Amino acid sequence: MKEKVFQVVSQVFGVQIDELREDSSPDTIQAWDSLKHMNLVLALEEEFGVRFSDEKIMQMLSVGLITEAVQELMP
Amino acid sequence: MQRLSYSQIQGELNAERMAALPPFRTAVLRNVVIEPIEPYLRYLAYQVGSNLRCEFSEYDNVFQEAVGGHKGILNGHIDCVLVFIKLDNLSWDLARRFASLPPERIEGEKERIKAFITSVLTGIRKQTAALILWGGFELPIHPSLGIVDYQQKSGQTACVTELNQFLRDALQAHKNAYVLDLNGCLARVGAKNFYDPRYWHIGKAPYSREALEEISNEVFKYIRPLKGKNKKCLVLDCDNVLWGGIVGEEGLGGIKLGRTYPGSAYCEFQQEILNLYHRGVVLALCSKNNAEDVWEVFRQHPDMLLRKEHIAAAQLNWRDKVTNLRQIAADLNLSLESFVFLDDSPFEIGQVRQYLPEVEVVQLPLDRAVEYRDIVAAGGWFDTLTISEEDKQRGAMYRAEAARKELQMQSQDLEGYYSSLEMVLEIRFADQFSIPRIAQLTQKTNQFTLTTRRYSDAQIQELSQSDSADVIYLQLKDRFGESGLTGVCILKYDGDRALIDSFLLSCRVLGRGVEDAFLVQCMNRAKWRGCASAIGEYRPTAKNDQVKDFYSKRNFKPVATVNGTGCFELDLAAFEETEPSFFKRIDSNLVKSRAEERDA
Repeated sequence: MKEKVFQVVSQVFGVQIDELREDSSPDTIQAWDSLKHMNLVLALEEEFGVRFSDEKIMQMLSVGLITEAVQELMP
Repeated sequence: MQRLSYSQIQGELNAERMAALPPFRTAVLRNVVIEPIEPYLRYLAYQVGSNLRCEFSEYDNVFQEAVGGHKGILNGHIDCVLVFIKLDNLSWDLARRFASLPPERIEGEKERIKAFITSVLTGIRKQTAALILWGGFELPIHPSLGIVDYQQKSGQTACVTELNQFLRDALQAHKNAYVLDLNGCLARVGAKNFYDPRYWHIGKAPYSREALEEISNEVFKYIRPLKGKNKKCLVLDCDNVLWGGIVGEEGLGGIKLGRTYPGSAYCEFQQEILNLYHRGVVLALCSKNNAEDVWEVFRQHPDMLLRKEHIAAAQLNWRDKVTNLRQIAADLNLSLESFVFLDDSPFEIGQVRQYLPEVEVVQLPLDRAVEYRDIVAAGGWFDTLTISEEDKQRGAMYRAEAARKELQMQSQDLEGYYSSLEMVLEIRFADQFSIPRIAQLTQKTNQFTLTTRRYSDAQIQELSQSDSADVIYLQLKDRFGESGLTGVCILKYDGDRALIDSFLLSCRVLGRGVEDAFLVQCMNRAKWRGCASAIGEYRPTAKNDQVKDFYSKRNFKPVATVNGTGCFELDLAAFEETEPSFFKRIDSNLVKSRAEERDA
């Protein structure tokens, strides 16, 4: 699951998977702005078949936080 | 093309192979956040060989951009303008507090919005002649007056409908401008899945991922025909596609086909295919069957809606489908790129996808015949910007073509065969009736075209009225029927030189000397206008290799090659006015007779 999160982040922001870490965030990835964050959320929801709350969307601002958010929603 | 997820699409787009494709510049005027649509648009563009880039107006700056050229994104280089104006951000009153408005306020808002539409549209057109696709206002999902609203002429639903009618009329008054049917997208996706209230509140982005995907598909139903990439031919498997079961095993009486379940799914599917036929889609069969079994169903089954006369070509045998599809393309003189192939077998689908990637392959899901009709109706592969009389008769024309091929096999020599066709050529200047078809031909023709220049209705209109250009078309009739408007030549005059800006023929009239007769007539015209020479160009594309020697084989001298474009010159003074002798009649009004000339 974690691998898939990394893959989605990599595809959406156009960065190599091996450049990503748990603490990768808008501060470390140049393409990760509020608009691209929306692309990321929509992509994650499709890949994992989940739907985040609006509050969660605003909070999931690192690869680690995203992984946690997905885990919470997976059965 | 297999469906990719939103994430996969963005991954694909990161690969740099797109950079080499020709650009397709899209300006997006909007009063909502809609940036996440870009990957879908870019991926669809990639499939038609373009590198699409969106330039977004600043948020809610539609008027400033259209009328004031604020950011300068509408300029001469733009290929397409998309307009997304959501009523909620344009008139909170009409969208959200309709029930509390006095009638005069409603009228006032309507007038304000109409004036806004007019100014924005005029503003866009002052800056660019590019394709405009403007999303209609979405109808209210929960009208403000509840169930009463729909009953009332003055209700919110009626109000939005009136604005949409105004928008449609306003766009129709311009060339190359269309309403993008967002209400159709909304209906197909369903309101619950169309909107994303989270992102509406977080960032004024109203549409869900599913909505953005559907809207992008809708946009490309317009762009594909504009780029000549719409499909023309639907190739069908037979068993478990046109009917349920296998006719070779179950026999005529055993297959599922009828007005009631389970045969009704196949009947409805056939009706949808027939509707495509009447829109000008060419139908063909490609099936592993004994041919006689299939034709027996076509002839004898009482619930068969498709008839043999609807089928332009058929490969009913036990060869592989790749070979058979190639044969159908050759028989019909159509490129495989214009084919959609429907089959229920994953094996056949996989094979065609692997060896003929240019064919759009659609696997009909096993055991889900009840969905076939929706699948073929939803494709949008065959959409054209207009449906002409030509389109409606295309099926008959292709059948006639097949009959010609048969005669050709019987005829001994080529000239004798041509003569036996009793061909009558009609060559005329463009007029208001022919302009839409001429523009359509420039947009759709990929193979027999020397320069592949695409023109809109408006541009053809302008050229046809110009003193320094002639837009000429040809129509062909023979003993098997009419081929209709199937050739275009655009001549531009510069001093005593005539430039052959465009010279193209539809594939369905190739191989019978029409191009020679047409060129002679057009050159006679240039000579009559007093030109000393004519310049022909060959602009190579991936598709038009067959015409690379067209000019050099016809006494044009190569003079230069500029950026890959070959230029050829014909000395009109020395030009012999000989036409092929096998036409029954060539009826042209391009050149006045000498008597008329003397009188003038």
